Amino acid sequence: MPSWFMRGLRRGVVTTHYPARPEPSAADLPTPPAFRAQYLDRNLADQICGVCPSRALRREGDVLIFDVGACTACGRCREAAPEAVTTSGEFELATTTRAHLVKRIPLLREARP
Amino acid sequence: MTQEQQVGAELRERIASQFGRSLHIRTLDTGSCAACEQEIRLLTAPHYDLHRLGFFFTPAPRHADLLLVTGPMIRAFDVAARKTFDAMPGPKIVVATGACALGGVYPADAFVHGSVGEILPVDVWIPGCPPSPLALLQGLLLAVGRLAEKTASLTFVADTTTGEVPG
Repeated sequence: MPSWFMRGLRRGVVTTHYPARPEPSAADLPTPPAFRAQYLDRNLADQICGVCPSRALRREGDVLIFDVGACTACGRCREAAPEAVTTSGEFELATTTRAHLVKRIPLLREARP
Repeated sequence: MTQEQQVGAELRERIASQFGRSLHIRTLDTGSCAACEQEIRLLTAPHYDLHRLGFFFTPAPRHADLLLVTGPMIRAFDVAARKTFDAMPGPKIVVATGACALGGVYPADAFVHGSVGEILPVDVWIPGCPPSPLALLQGLLLAVGRLAEKTASLTFVADTTTGEVPG
């Protein structure tokens, strides 16, 4: 009897139960950022737009436009502004409409000190 | 409901019932860095085991129901992409995979179209760089109507009442 067969019996089923049940290892996946709107003013928004390597972030007036489809989850915006940017933890992002992936994040109207 | 709408709804239902059975996937690499391919390959590994859900990979577009496209759609690939799409029997689904295919990483220039949507009619978009096998699974199940979409309801604004506030 090959040893791998016995090892398989010992360890039981390794296949994920996703999508019937949530997958525990999904918590370790790199995921797109989420933004804390009360820390984001225009200056900080320009700063994180400047570090984005994949054109996922841009600012239009008082709104930060975040294209989740373009985001590579590299974490540079989180490094540049750790107080205002956190990870979303969302990986189930597939969509039938491309426009659903473009998110509008409101910015503070006046600059923070 | 008008007669056209009724016929359309019936047709949609019939198509969905077709895709609800076993589904064959053809992958198309249009200039990707192979990270997406690595994740697609992992779908057949024991941990994800794509075959338990009735999905299979096929090397022939004529046997495929679903075209899984990766990469930023390089212009040199125009003819091959069109031929692959035309060779597939209908009804067919096109799934764009990864940030390149969604128009994120490469801007349109003399060498790339920048997005798969420029050339092929994309039905499902799967973001991620690369999308994890779980994200791919969700995208495939969404494409055949076995999972609901949740992207539209996400805001990507963190709930600050529960998050820690820096001092």
